[in-house]
Amino acid sequence: MIQRRRQFLKGMSFGGASLAMAPFVRSLHAQASGNPELLPKRFVFVVKSSGIDKFNLVPEGVENHYVSPTDGRKLGNKARRLGPLVDVPLADHKLPEKLSQLEAFKNRLTIIQSLSGEGFSGNHTSGYGALSCHNSEAVAIAPTIDCLLGQHLSAGPYPMYGMSTNGRLLEGGSGLSESYCYPNISAYKAGMPVPFQASPRKAFHELFGASVAPPDQLEAELALNGNLMNFLAEDAKRLEKQLSGDEKERFALYLDSFSSLQEIEKKKAGLADQIKKFAPTPSDRYDSLKPKHRIESYFELAGSALVTGLTNVVTLRPDTLGVQYTELGIRNSVHALGHLQENKATNGMTGHDARAAVEKLHLAGIAELAKKLDAMPEGDGTMLDNTLIVYMSCAGGDHHGGQADWPFLLLGGMAGKLKMGRYLEFPKYRESGHRTIGNLYLSFMEAAGIKPPETFGQTDSNLKDLDVTGPLAELMA
Amino acid sequence: MFVGSLNISCLILWMVILSSPAVADSGMSFLESYCVQCHGPDKKKGKITLHDLTGDFRDARVADRWVGVLEQLTAEDMPPEDEDKQPGSDERRQLIEWIEAKLVGANQGAAYRKKLLAPEYGNWVDHEKLFSGEIQTPPFSPSRLWRLSPEIFDRRGFGKARSPFTYTTSEKGVRDYAAMSQVDQSTVQMILINADQFLEEREKRREFKELEEEKPMPSEEELRNLIAREFRRVVGRTPSDDEKQKYLQFLKRNIKIGGKLKGFKTTVKALFLNPEAIYRMEFGLGKKDEHGRRHLSPIEVVNALAYALTDQLPDRNQLLWAAYKKGDINNREEVAQVVRQMLDEQLGSGRWSQPALPRIMRFFEQYFGFDRAGDVFKDNDRRRLEGISQWNTQLLIHDAKMLINHILGKDEDVIAELLTTNEYFVAHPGDNEFAKEFYDERIAEITHPDYLKREIAKAEEQYAKRKKPGHVSPEEWEEKRVKWMEEKSKKAERTLKFYSLALAEGINPHPDFPFSDRSRGIADLIYITPYNLPQSGRAEKQKWNWPIEQPFELPKEQRAGILTHPAWLAAWSLNDGNDPIHRGIWIREKLLAGKLQDVPPDVDAKVPTDPHKTLRERLGVLRDERCWNCHHKINPLGETFEMFDDWGRYRTHHFFGEDGEIVMRRDRRFDQLLEEGKLTKRKVNATGAIGGSGDAKVDGEVKDAIEMIHRLGRSERVRQSFIRHLFRYFMGRNEMLSDSRTLIEAEQAYLESNGSFKALVVSLLSSDSFLYRR
Repeated sequence: MIQRRRQFLKGMSFGGASLAMAPFVRSLHAQASGNPELLPKRFVFVVKSSGIDKFNLVPEGVENHYVSPTDGRKLGNKARRLGPLVDVPLADHKLPEKLSQLEAFKNRLTIIQSLSGEGFSGNHTSGYGALSCHNSEAVAIAPTIDCLLGQHLSAGPYPMYGMSTNGRLLEGGSGLSESYCYPNISAYKAGMPVPFQASPRKAFHELFGASVAPPDQLEAELALNGNLMNFLAEDAKRLEKQLSGDEKERFALYLDSFSSLQEIEKKKAGLADQIKKFAPTPSDRYDSLKPKHRIESYFELAGSALVTGLTNVVTLRPDTLGVQYTELGIRNSVHALGHLQENKATNGMTGHDARAAVEKLHLAGIAELAKKLDAMPEGDGTMLDNTLIVYMSCAGGDHHGGQADWPFLLLGGMAGKLKMGRYLEFPKYRESGHRTIGNLYLSFMEAAGIKPPETFGQTDSNLKDLDVTGPLAELMA
Repeated sequence: MFVGSLNISCLILWMVILSSPAVADSGMSFLESYCVQCHGPDKKKGKITLHDLTGDFRDARVADRWVGVLEQLTAEDMPPEDEDKQPGSDERRQLIEWIEAKLVGANQGAAYRKKLLAPEYGNWVDHEKLFSGEIQTPPFSPSRLWRLSPEIFDRRGFGKARSPFTYTTSEKGVRDYAAMSQVDQSTVQMILINADQFLEEREKRREFKELEEEKPMPSEEELRNLIAREFRRVVGRTPSDDEKQKYLQFLKRNIKIGGKLKGFKTTVKALFLNPEAIYRMEFGLGKKDEHGRRHLSPIEVVNALAYALTDQLPDRNQLLWAAYKKGDINNREEVAQVVRQMLDEQLGSGRWSQPALPRIMRFFEQYFGFDRAGDVFKDNDRRRLEGISQWNTQLLIHDAKMLINHILGKDEDVIAELLTTNEYFVAHPGDNEFAKEFYDERIAEITHPDYLKREIAKAEEQYAKRKKPGHVSPEEWEEKRVKWMEEKSKKAERTLKFYSLALAEGINPHPDFPFSDRSRGIADLIYITPYNLPQSGRAEKQKWNWPIEQPFELPKEQRAGILTHPAWLAAWSLNDGNDPIHRGIWIREKLLAGKLQDVPPDVDAKVPTDPHKTLRERLGVLRDERCWNCHHKINPLGETFEMFDDWGRYRTHHFFGEDGEIVMRRDRRFDQLLEEGKLTKRKVNATGAIGGSGDAKVDGEVKDAIEMIHRLGRSERVRQSFIRHLFRYFMGRNEMLSDSRTLIEAEQAYLESNGSFKALVVSLLSSDSFLYRR
């Protein structure tokens, strides 16, 4: 096996760096033991704004319940037609045109439709609700699934890493920000939202700075950081003397955080070789204000972060409602596109086609990332076999889409724990056999080796009579 | 009882008494007398036995079982109410104290005591004892660090930074508790990100010019000044010479390693993480008294007062800072004077969106919880079906706040007024003078003969100011202009029409308040259905005669204060209906200072669904003995609110369709069904009872929530419970028995001032509990 892998690796490169050995010690252990379950597992959540259209996600030859049977027009929210569970192999069907870029990955792609996530308010977005299953549009009140998975899976310095074009949803000219922002997507716990990096350049420096900085600069930065932590610890100790028992205990959390932060730095330093090897080569694209370049950069950085082991979970927010995809000839904002329907966008496309074009742009990034991970051998397969890329929206199946039909694309695998290569369509909201996005997240947990609770997040009072516990049996291998 | 207290002297005293042989076995004999009959070798009710419980508290398992007994006794859930043989309250109290002392003596029960620090266990301190007057221990608060609140952080002005501080306390009560405010690794990481961002924004604005690489090295004096400037900006005060020196040395070391700018930035990061930029420090640096208590020093006092009433540092409040500067803040009388002055001059002032004393309204929000109305998700389909045109919780909350402001303005019999008044504000800015002024202006404007002409001119002008985007052709631009003008002109005509119609019928047209310094924006009357008032949007005829001067009376039999306000009812409702359980818990805990045990882990909280029954009927399952032991303290209070639906509408009947299923819809189809005689109706059952309140005068049956609230509104128990909650809010902790004097004095101040809320606040903020540390 090793022989085969070595041959495979010869002459292959990732992000400009050629490689000679597997990136993870953990991964080596797993390979040595021959147990794929021990291989590191990774998730990439790509959470777009404005909904993912559900009506053009049905493979050819499968009855489309999201359009009218008479004129083929898309049906309104909650108006999908009735029908039993659909569970068909994608191998037997041609992918819908929107997904054509993923044709090569058909056997590792699963399309899921009509999971509901009702009960989370938000006119344009469910905010944290999308990943936490709580009514939590703008204030984090519970941990989100990406953070939960990251805290469990990541051995590197970052439990998870987020990149987002912007923190604001509607406002803002080009809609691209240049620093940390809060897109209201991910949270470690109540009141602890994850800041996302908007600037690819800054994300590069934060994640892979060590690969390009001259050694003396690196040393200086480490020394400054050490200096800071020591100064603070010393200062705090003086105060600690004045405290009583209970107070001391609480204060210790603050005090200890300085050493644990240094641990993180040390972890990063421990990955220096990996970082040098797999860091992407920064380019002008990192500073571009074009959404397309931004998105490509995010995917590139995400891939490298996973390969180096800086983190095992990345969440990307490719656009917000204010973004204008000028490279597609579109001057309407993502929000405006959502209201066009059959009307024309500035590039002459109908609103529907323009939205599909935007999704395709994201899917191109996903396909590229999948290709890269698939070129990285791991165990008996590739990194893609242990990485699940999840394409979804924070707002269900359309612009103002309601939350009764929430589409998901899953690409990759979880060491064989998930059934891939399927088109899975659950019965309509409130109908027998209907399931929720919470059930999907429970499936992620189980596949990732976390014992899932019975339910995830708040339960929907409209579904009292249905079984909404446990992972999706249809998805589990 | 010594809940969470550091009241060691009392504790030792108890331990001495309790270890005497006479009391030593009191626990065992109590169990024998009152418990073992049901929880013994024969009956084993609830699978719990106590005959085999030993007195060996050193054994952790034994101690844990005693904690269980302790909780049952404290919540007064055992022996059950219907048991003939009941311990007297003194007997009960003695055993509670015995178990607590035993636990402490054996170094057990730490988790239990920690739990009691949380706001939801505040009532576990014996109410009767607190107000009995028998406790002579001089009050104090523990010397402490108190992490800044998110609200304080937001007023610090760090650009786009998000607060790294969050509450870990339950959202259903007082949030800011010193002992429950933590700073952990994620907080520190977020602070570092904030610092980075703050520095970056300022660097972009070239605020650090003097540190750019090509500039010469600043002199030591310049560096010192730089430190002082940043210290003030980040920590909020001028650093002492020692501090300046300390940071100067640090800065110099950093510059040596990383150069000027990087060295400087690292130094500023240290300021962000300076304990003083994170914590309020209340050590009691003033004089020590004969009881071993230390008074807060003057700067500690003004800090504590500033954070008690505002979210800012004391120097941002003129009155407070002037008193400090003059040295008028040294003792109780002086503190009382400045607090009184602040309340008199500043309560109710400031912009509506940013009041001068924001912490006052926040108390009412956290106490009543009405501001959480929007947090309860309501399905749009159901909303439409049930005849609510617009579900605008923001405006309902605003209306409730206007009512509270009004009652605080009058400052008489405040607690009873808050709970019982049927005078409400609806779609009103709160300030009558402003409302009248604005209304008159608006009427004059619209009824002016040139109104339409003026509006069209205004629209022309507005459009001319707009800039044509490059990709729009001049023809398209002109097309858009024509459309714009058409819309504006239609809108003006519509406004004129509906204003004229209303005026002709003798109705005051709602004047569409814009967002301004003096009022929140209130566009129309579309959201008022929850008050049982007829709603109307801007584009339809107004049906309700909007009172220019408010408050105005709503029917007495329908509304009584905040608890019948749609904002409160919505906040304490579920996604799909009323929530009698949490409403009952609210009354029990917030009004009656009652104690409820934690929900047992094996409780299946599902209420059965049955479309033929009302919610109240479905809740009947809780009358089962096992549930009723706790639920008898909850449901008879909460079910009285069944006289409202979960949108806050008053109702007298439930309706059922021909299939016998309950009909919730209130749309046109409902009217039609009703007309066709296809609905049957049953009277709403909103009866209930107050029981075990600790005040025999209020206990008894009630016909609905209105009667219950009126009975409670002026009761001693409710007054005292309110005061206890206000105490917790200002002190940031649960009361200890040693706070007894503070609470009694506060109640006296309230009674002597004819029910003045201000007097209550003055009393609490100048109390020993507030001013002394130990």
